[in-house]
Amino acid sequence: MTFITPKGPAIPVAANRLLIVISLIIGLALNLLPWIGTIQWWRPDFLLVILLYWVVQQPRRVGMGAAWMLGLLTDMANGGVLGQHAMAYTVAAFAALMLQRRIINFNLWQQTLQMLPLLLVEQLMSILAATFAGHAFSGIEYFLSVLSGTLLWLPVSLLLQWPRNATRAADAS
Amino acid sequence: MPIRDEQLQLFPRGPGAGARLLIYVLISIAVIVADTRFKVLGGVRSALSTLLYPMQEAVQTPLAVYDTVSGFFVNHAQLQRDNARLRQRNLDYAGAVLRYHDLEQENTRLRTLLHAHLRTPLHTSLAEIISVPRDPYSRRIIVDRGSQDGVRAGQPVMDEIGLLGQVTRVYPYTSEVTLLTDEGQPVPVQIQRNGLRTITFGLGTDNMIDVRYLPQGADIRKGDLLVTSGIGGVYPAGLPVATVANVEHSANRAFLRVECIPKAAINSYRQVLIVSDVPAAKPVLPVAGNKKQ
Repeated sequence: MTFITPKGPAIPVAANRLLIVISLIIGLALNLLPWIGTIQWWRPDFLLVILLYWVVQQPRRVGMGAAWMLGLLTDMANGGVLGQHAMAYTVAAFAALMLQRRIINFNLWQQTLQMLPLLLVEQLMSILAATFAGHAFSGIEYFLSVLSGTLLWLPVSLLLQWPRNATRAADAS
Repeated sequence: MPIRDEQLQLFPRGPGAGARLLIYVLISIAVIVADTRFKVLGGVRSALSTLLYPMQEAVQTPLAVYDTVSGFFVNHAQLQRDNARLRQRNLDYAGAVLRYHDLEQENTRLRTLLHAHLRTPLHTSLAEIISVPRDPYSRRIIVDRGSQDGVRAGQPVMDEIGLLGQVTRVYPYTSEVTLLTDEGQPVPVQIQRNGLRTITFGLGTDNMIDVRYLPQGADIRKGDLLVTSGIGGVYPAGLPVATVANVEHSANRAFLRVECIPKAAINSYRQVLIVSDVPAAKPVLPVAGNKKQ
C-alpha cells in the first residue's frame, strides 16, 4: 500500500498561535543580547528572520502590521530613530508577502537564497531612513549581517518546522 | 451566515497589500519626523522601554548563571595566583595612596591660596551593560540603572581606565549611554603634557576619535594623553580620554588632522561606573548677588 504515502514536500499543519508569539519574543530577546567586539558586525537580525519565516509560512496571520509593531520595538531597543526599523521591517514583510507563493514551493536551500534580497531590502530601507534622519553611512561592514541573516534562515526554519511536524506525526498515529 | 474566520476566507477583503504598505510607510515617516524634528515621543519611548526591561533582564539570566557557575568551579591554583597578584597590586597602590593623600592636601592648600575651585572627589555607582543595540549607526549601550536608581541625563560614565561617555536618555529602570565614539559626540579635553585645551569628536567607528580645529602649529604629538578639561561642567576634570595615535600635517587643510585612540576599554567590559555629583563649575558672581539685596 505504498501509494497511500504521498510523494513531494509535506505541507506542515497550521502553526499554533503560541508558537508564533514565543518564537518572535525569543527573536527579540536574541537581538537584545549584548554582543561585544568585531563579531558585532556579523550579528544577524534574529527577529527579522523569524518574522519573515512566519510571513512566508502563515501570511494571513503575520503580516505588515506585526512587522511594523516589532520594528518599532526594535527601534526602541536600539535607541535610534523611532520608525526607522518599523518602516524597514514593513517593506521587507511586503516583499516577502509578494514572493510568498514562490518561496514556499522551493526547497530549503533555495529558500535560503531567496532571503538574501529580502534582508538586503530591509538593510537598505533602514539606511535610507537613518540618512533621512541625519546620520551618515558608516561603512560597508554594515552588510555583513545580511549574509549571516541569510544563513540563519536554515536553522530557523528547521527549528520552527520541527514542532509542527511533531504534531502531524502525533495526529497520524 | 457567511463564515467570518479569516483563515477560511477564500478571497481576503480589505485594502490590498500595496495600499497597506503605503499606509504603514506613511505612518513610519510621520513617526520618524515626530521623533527627530519635533522630539515629541518621549512618553512612547518611556512606555516601550518599560515593556522591554523584563526581556532585557531575562536575557541577562543565562550570562549571570554562567558567571556564578564558572566562579564556583575556579580551581585552587588560579585563586592563589589571583590572590598573590592582587596582594602585590594592593601594596603598590598603598604606597601611591599615601603619597596621594599628601598631594591632595597640598593641592587643596594651594588652591585655597589661589582662591580656585576645590576639586571634589568623584562618587560613582556601578552599572552593568545589559544590551548593545544592533545598529551600526549608533555607538550606544543600555545599562541597568535608571531614574529609579537616581540616574539623570547628562551624567558622565567611565570605566576604571578612562571616560566612556555620557548618559543621554533615562528610563525608569534602564538608561542609555552614548559612547564618546558616537558620531559627533564632543568631549572637552586638554593635553596632559602642556595643558592645551581642545575638543574631541567621535567618528562613529570603534577605537577612533579625532580632534578638530587645531591650527597647524599646535603643539600636539603622537603619544600625548588627553584628559577631560572640566570645561562645560559635564565631565569632571582629569579623567583620561584618549591617546594621540597620529598627527597629520597637511598644507591643503586649515586644521591639523589628529586621530586618537580612546583609553577606556569601550568594547570589552560589562561593568561601567556612572559618575554622580559632578561639581558644578559655574562661576559665582558675588557682586551681582549683593546688588539684588
